[in-house]
Amino acid sequence: MTTKSASAEITTTDIGVTAKRRLGVAEILAWSSRNGVFVFTALLIIAALLFVDGFASLYNVTDVFHRAAPVGIVAVGMTFVVISGNYLDLSVVAQVATAGVILIAVSNTHGIFIAIVAALMAAILFALVNGIAVGVFKANAVIVTLATTFIGLGVLRYFSGGSIFFGPPDGIIKAFGVGKVGPIPYSAIVLLVMTILLSILLNRTNFGFLIRSFGVNESATRLGGSNTALIVIGAFLVTAIAAMVAGFVLAAFSNTAVSNDGVGYDFRALAAIIVGGTSVFGGRGSVFRTLLGVIFVSVLTNILVLSGISFGYQQIALGALIVFAVSLDAIGRKVAR
Amino acid sequence: MSEILELSDAKSKGFLGRAGTVIGRRTEGRGIALLSVILVIVALTEPLVFTAYSVTLGRIALIGIVALGLTAVILMGELDLSVASTLALSGVVMASVPELWLGILAALATGLIVGLINAFFVSVVGINSFIATLGMLFALRGLAFVISDEAPVSLVNKEAGISFGEPLIGPLTPRVLIFILVFIAIQIFVSKAQAGREFFAVGGNRQAARDAGIPVTRRIVTGFMISGFVAALAGIINSLERTTADPTAGSTVLLTAFAAAIIGGNYLKGGRGSIVGTLIGAAALGVLQVALTISGVQIPVQQIFIGAILLIAVTTDPNSLRSVRGSIRTLRQGRAKNSVTT
Repeated sequence: MTTKSASAEITTTDIGVTAKRRLGVAEILAWSSRNGVFVFTALLIIAALLFVDGFASLYNVTDVFHRAAPVGIVAVGMTFVVISGNYLDLSVVAQVATAGVILIAVSNTHGIFIAIVAALMAAILFALVNGIAVGVFKANAVIVTLATTFIGLGVLRYFSGGSIFFGPPDGIIKAFGVGKVGPIPYSAIVLLVMTILLSILLNRTNFGFLIRSFGVNESATRLGGSNTALIVIGAFLVTAIAAMVAGFVLAAFSNTAVSNDGVGYDFRALAAIIVGGTSVFGGRGSVFRTLLGVIFVSVLTNILVLSGISFGYQQIALGALIVFAVSLDAIGRKVAR
Repeated sequence: MSEILELSDAKSKGFLGRAGTVIGRRTEGRGIALLSVILVIVALTEPLVFTAYSVTLGRIALIGIVALGLTAVILMGELDLSVASTLALSGVVMASVPELWLGILAALATGLIVGLINAFFVSVVGINSFIATLGMLFALRGLAFVISDEAPVSLVNKEAGISFGEPLIGPLTPRVLIFILVFIAIQIFVSKAQAGREFFAVGGNRQAARDAGIPVTRRIVTGFMISGFVAALAGIINSLERTTADPTAGSTVLLTAFAAAIIGGNYLKGGRGSIVGTLIGAAALGVLQVALTISGVQIPVQQIFIGAILLIAVTTDPNSLRSVRGSIRTLRQGRAKNSVTT
């Protein structure tokens, strides 16, 4: 009798131990997928400072800011689509290029105010097409935005003829593009302001709450009495406006615009978002995390460039980074369950 | 119960009734509609497309071969965005091996390995296939750039490439013949082989398939390996015909292949669709592309056409239309309720 109870006790403690151990693994994985970016970014910057020649120079830091800004602005905007559980918006490629070309080309002929209004109209059109197809027709966001990328780029190339547009050498666009506060270019300040604004939108408003709620459970959000189509359209609208701002910043940086400007932005923005710890499964994430992810990806790219590593290897590294970060998230969820 | 009633109903209706039920179950409707509209318009405006049918067939084969591989994955409710890069990578791999046959084998092996890696991330790690294969899309493109040193690689054996572009049986080039073979192989696999038929079950309801004893993980691995293998085949054909392997190849093929598979009635959430539908979709898009090219339409405008067709295709599948009807109904009911309360 006593032996029986003793063995029973042992097994229960065994179970307790294994359960605890499992919880430990789950916690580590979940923690590193959520907060790993803080550690990794810090480690990466320290390593770069120590081992990479030319990283710590003022010129290079300004350059990192310059390059990070447009991608970062796209990424903080696209965070809304990812949190709403719609994977991503591939059409930012077309949106960035469209905004840049419209800004330069239209302001050359009609003035900058009309150019900005025209670019805004284009952004709203993108958001409406994407948002209605995904939100009302419940179509797959990846395929929809793949289609709108090609439509948008096709329209842009048709009207621009694929040519490069140059802004006036002494205009306001040029002045903005080269302007700096100390070592920090205006573009980086725009990124910071966008991050703060979108963070407030996500965390402090009803709309932001609904985006999260929709990302966690679509049906429950609908049954709660919300218009889910408007939530999805809103998420795509935030992304489109951010992509427009990114297009402006990018065009101002070089004072030129061409229809290939946005190539690769979809992918780098997604890498930043996922590395920041925003879940592609929807519902979880934040805009500040995306900013951190942007810094991580930009510093990583900068290190690769400074070390003379070719474009091919950079692509492999970013692709692997995305798959690795999502794997961490997925395994963490699996073990936790 | 209602289904049994319907079936017996169909039986009592005789041949026409049974035909109606069979047609109702098919998914190719939109594909056939689009194909016939395009055929009529093209026949009236640009009959050269049919006179130069070898060009048209070649175009259909290029789109269709990638789309057929994709269909195997889509039937299970997964996506494989990496096919575009697999196509480029396998071409580069083949061109960098001096011996032609060894190169082809290496390229096919590349496709199979890519499929295996995709399937690992999707079924074992449990990542969404869109994100996993998107990561692979970029990583493999990078790998193609690294292997090719960022420039197109010419084939060592140029004669083989040139003879590959010539008609083999009648007017049919090897590309078209390979396409027909791939079509027959996948069609037989999906409709006759048990493993292939189980693809539909895995796509329809994964948990139910697992409970019914279907090895779901193994089926997913098979599906991604088919799609990787077929994409590699397309890469080989592409580089052989051009006698060079371009590391940037395949990015427009991705869009067109997806459009072909989705227009063909393959339901993106899995479980419904057919290989024949993909063939119809590829035929429609191939004829359209050749017609647009012959009538001198610029490439950007062609992109708009294909993009718009893909957008329409993905928003008009039965499920999408049902959800639109549902939201209109709720809107109306909401209004009615409001008017009652006020």
